[in-house]
Amino acid sequence: MPEYVRKKLTLDFGQVTDYIVRRIREYIEESKKEGGIIGLSGGIDSSVTTILLSRATNNFYILLMPTSSTPQKDIEDAMKIIKIVNGENKYSYINIDEIINEFSSIVNTSDKIVIGNIKARVRMTLLYAFAQKMNYLVIGTGDKSEIMLGYFTKYGDGGVDVLPIGDLYKTQVRMLGNYLGVPEEIVKKPPSPALWEGQTAEGEIGLDYETIDSILYLKFEEMREPEEIAEMTKTSYDKVIKIINMVKTSQHKRLPPEIFRLSGRAINSDWRYPRQWG
Amino acid sequence: MGLKVELAQIRPKLGDVKYNLEKHQEIISSSSADCIIFPELSLTGYILRDLVYEVYNESEKAIEKLSEENKCIVAGLVKEIRPGILRNTAAIIINHQINYIYKFYLPTYGLFEERRYFQPGDPKRDLKIFEYKGVKFGVIICEDAWHYEPIEALALLGADSIFIPAASPMRRLSTRLGIQDNWEALLKAHSIINGIWTIFVNNVGSQEEEFFWGGSMVVSPNGEVINRAKLFEEDIIITEINLDEVRKNRFFSSFREHNRDFHDVLRSL
Repeated sequence: MPEYVRKKLTLDFGQVTDYIVRRIREYIEESKKEGGIIGLSGGIDSSVTTILLSRATNNFYILLMPTSSTPQKDIEDAMKIIKIVNGENKYSYINIDEIINEFSSIVNTSDKIVIGNIKARVRMTLLYAFAQKMNYLVIGTGDKSEIMLGYFTKYGDGGVDVLPIGDLYKTQVRMLGNYLGVPEEIVKKPPSPALWEGQTAEGEIGLDYETIDSILYLKFEEMREPEEIAEMTKTSYDKVIKIINMVKTSQHKRLPPEIFRLSGRAINSDWRYPRQWG
Repeated sequence: MGLKVELAQIRPKLGDVKYNLEKHQEIISSSSADCIIFPELSLTGYILRDLVYEVYNESEKAIEKLSEENKCIVAGLVKEIRPGILRNTAAIIINHQINYIYKFYLPTYGLFEERRYFQPGDPKRDLKIFEYKGVKFGVIICEDAWHYEPIEALALLGADSIFIPAASPMRRLSTRLGIQDNWEALLKAHSIINGIWTIFVNNVGSQEEEFFWGGSMVVSPNGEVINRAKLFEEDIIITEINLDEVRKNRFFSSFREHNRDFHDVLRSL
């Protein structure tokens, strides 16, 4: 990551923490819910978000939802976070292999991507079921890098009520993790959705997150040209274009489904009420 | 002897005029200040979107309620100035008398969609100066402070103090809060150039994705921040502003010089 970008992405993480904690607390209150539920994978995003949630409210609940493709290390790491937030009585461990097998056999597929997305959506379903039972909100763990790249499953890990760290790049989430005392091995672990064995984000995308974040920042916040970005990040022009295209082609994942307009006042396109309506 | 102003940095509930009105009344009734200034659209909340059509009427009625109070009050509302034409408005209530000023510059960048809902004020008709306990003041709303002319015009028309109700959302929180630095710089410049008190009263708290950062402040004609409200929380601060500071600044500045030719150039752009 160019020093220039690192400087720009380095925040006052004390103040960032106060801000996010305050907003989680208020958001739960405004939604008239009693707490928040979160899926904890043992990765940096869900670890950081879990700590933030635990600071916002005592009413938090954690689901661990591993499958056979989940590395044992992730489960161990998740347990460390549970210990840090004193959540020993506030979590459930649910192995979802059986549910996934059932789904896969009904769909009659062994395609790892199809099954991977089923995993993410089953987790979403479980989170919402627990959330409704407890009158909690589903706290999402997506970060800005993933959301921009479209590197999430629509209605899977993308199906949540609120995204507290959704305006922080992965690199910034790591810095925040350090600030919050997340164990270094979790901070340094290569990010992975673990939807199939050996899957890592950086392996799939072909660039490390420091570079990805630099490209995203320089392109979409400073609006620089790809040539200049390639030079600044010491990356090939093609890779820069690839990242930019990932953002563009995943736009549909960040928007609500399109409604084909017929009337004089269609939902979304000409209907702009705030969330806090009524 | 000066004018005691109270900066009521509140967290309005979006679209809940009844709740907001009660909050206004509570603050006013327990205040020891001469003049109480609330943020932009304080009676309705800021990010109303289409909700604006449901609350404008109620907010106008709320202003009438506030006019029963025997103080100087500045509060924010949506006013229908002709059927179907709405303006982002601040009401200035002095001894039960209600006056209105309108926002001139309606932001349309980023999150702002004000042009979708509001008609801008007309500088030729809508610039007004008020006087309370010997202090002459003007009121402008938020974005208007990001331009020279509204405050300059009011200062030249005789204002010694400018009240700025605002709804400034959190931006660029890095090692410092960038938007706070920007506002501070703007207010200092306006104060120093015009030899006036500038009083910025911001909203606080979340509305939709946005979070209003508070940080209301009083800047002296000398360009010093002499009082500040808390960041990110509701807060009330009282400051006494006086004309001596205005005088001292203007004795030793060239505010008295005004070259109208520059405005001819601007007019012909």
